[in-house]
Amino acid sequence: MKKKKYRGIEQIKSRYGWLFISTWLVGVVLFFAIPIIQSVIYSFSQVYFAEGADGTMQMQTDWIGIKNYNYIINEHTDYLSWLGRSVTNFLYSLPVIVLLSLILALLLNQKFRGRLFFRALYFMPVIIATGVVINLVDGMAGTDMTSSSVNESVSGGMFSVQDVISVLDLPVQVAEFVQKIIGDIFDLIWNSGIQTVLFLAGLQSIPSTLYEASKVEGATKWEEFWFITFPMLSNVTLLVIVYTMVEILVSNNNVMVSHIYSLMNAAVYDTTSAMMWFYFLAIGAVMGIIVVLFKKLLQNRWS
Amino acid sequence: MLKKLYYKFRLANPKKPNANRFTRSKFGNFMCMLLIVSAGLFTMLPLIYSVVTSFKPIDELLIFPPTFFVRRPTTVNYVALPGLLSSLSVPLSRYIFNSLFITVVTSVLNIIFSAMAAFSLSKGTYKGRKIFFLVIQFALMFNAYTLSIPQYLIFSKLRIVDTYWVYILPQLAGTLGVFLIKQYIEGYVPDALMEAAKIDGAGYIRIFWKIIMPIIKPAWLTVVLFAFRDIWAAIPNGTIFNEELKTLPQIVTQITAGGIARNGSAMAITTIMMIPPIIVYFISQSNVVEAMSSAGIKE
Repeated sequence: MKKKKYRGIEQIKSRYGWLFISTWLVGVVLFFAIPIIQSVIYSFSQVYFAEGADGTMQMQTDWIGIKNYNYIINEHTDYLSWLGRSVTNFLYSLPVIVLLSLILALLLNQKFRGRLFFRALYFMPVIIATGVVINLVDGMAGTDMTSSSVNESVSGGMFSVQDVISVLDLPVQVAEFVQKIIGDIFDLIWNSGIQTVLFLAGLQSIPSTLYEASKVEGATKWEEFWFITFPMLSNVTLLVIVYTMVEILVSNNNVMVSHIYSLMNAAVYDTTSAMMWFYFLAIGAVMGIIVVLFKKLLQNRWS
Repeated sequence: MLKKLYYKFRLANPKKPNANRFTRSKFGNFMCMLLIVSAGLFTMLPLIYSVVTSFKPIDELLIFPPTFFVRRPTTVNYVALPGLLSSLSVPLSRYIFNSLFITVVTSVLNIIFSAMAAFSLSKGTYKGRKIFFLVIQFALMFNAYTLSIPQYLIFSKLRIVDTYWVYILPQLAGTLGVFLIKQYIEGYVPDALMEAAKIDGAGYIRIFWKIIMPIIKPAWLTVVLFAFRDIWAAIPNGTIFNEELKTLPQIVTQITAGGIARNGSAMAITTIMMIPPIIVYFISQSNVVEAMSSAGIKE
């Protein structure tokens, strides 16, 4: 005990700090840091297999600079279109998911019978639908159901969604947008489980005194939402936006990620690593712009 | 009938005080409820559909257009499961055991290591904490698949390819868990509490187990949920060749490779795979909202 005292409390503290983080650090270095550095090296090299000194096939890397990046951008026929497709897909699903989860959270935050049941219900896909299960369920239910059963059972077989859209005589872009949402409705609802919970948690942390005060002042529901709920949620909204962006952009259903994945499986490491890193930089830029815009346009108005 | 349903599910009960604090017309209440129920229905339909499909006999599976409900339910798809796998020389129970064993062990390790790292990051005073936290935020943006090749090289250097370690070791570096628990500790564990414990003579290890872990229970129960979900569904990429070490997700792919006639069995095994995560969810669900609320305290 005496020895420890002479070393000073700060030193003991930092020693224990390192002790507690050490296991995690080993994992991160082995399975995250080293692989990441490795893949950066791949992206700047030519990777091929050759017979090593002991007679087995070994992976060889030759440094070739930015040739891989040059290749994917200027010569590869599909890369830029994949990039474009995944970014546009992202730009349309981000607002839909954020709005949808906000609406669901607002609804679930009310007092009604069975709300705990519905909260559990909305969160269910988050738990069950991963990996193989989501692929199977999505593959079967997604195609079978949206095409036939849902159209018939939900709309009672009297009209289809397409008919409604054409009757309403909307502009082409809007109609396409609505159709896309309806086509992806399962994906969108399934992807908003965690966001709904985040919003719900945010809503519950707003002190009720604010609402009481505004009620005394005679605020309408609409004003209450825009001047209390929305500003108080701005931190959570930012978190939800960031979370949603990450989830859309790195999910396995993403056009880009699935192509990168299949190329990796085909043992093309060098250009694929370059593709991955360029994609990463591109989405990083898009995400940065959105976060800055959000902060500038919305958050700063209240803080 | 509708009126009865409406009264059963109406949003606010005017007889109770406070319940009607936010006044809204009955029509408004009805519309809200309609929205909630229909969104809930949309959420559950695919899951219900896959469970229902698993009870369909083969002739109903092949009907076009597919029907939603089953007319003559059978358990033949479930009974056939072990038979489908007999060519693989490993019984179905072995896969289930592998899945459960790996998921439970790995989730527990993941939670403990994540909580330790989060404790160190939020209450430690050493240099480099900020860098570690940046690494976590950076790692959250990464898809694990894209690193599978360099990871494989490390597995082979450690000589753990084709062992249980392939499943377990990468989970030491949980990032989402560390992030959530760190935010929770910063929100709910005051420094004064730790100082009081130290004055009473508790060491850091004791503080961690006796004070920190109980306080942050909502956070780690939530992380258990996510960790369980991810590990349960994980397919190690080209690192497991021994049939005896494979898990359920891997045989699902083998079953679905059999084509449309196997759809029933594929759905049967999917239904089996849904059960454990649901059980874990019902154990931890009451804590999820609480843990999430701390995630938004700071950015």
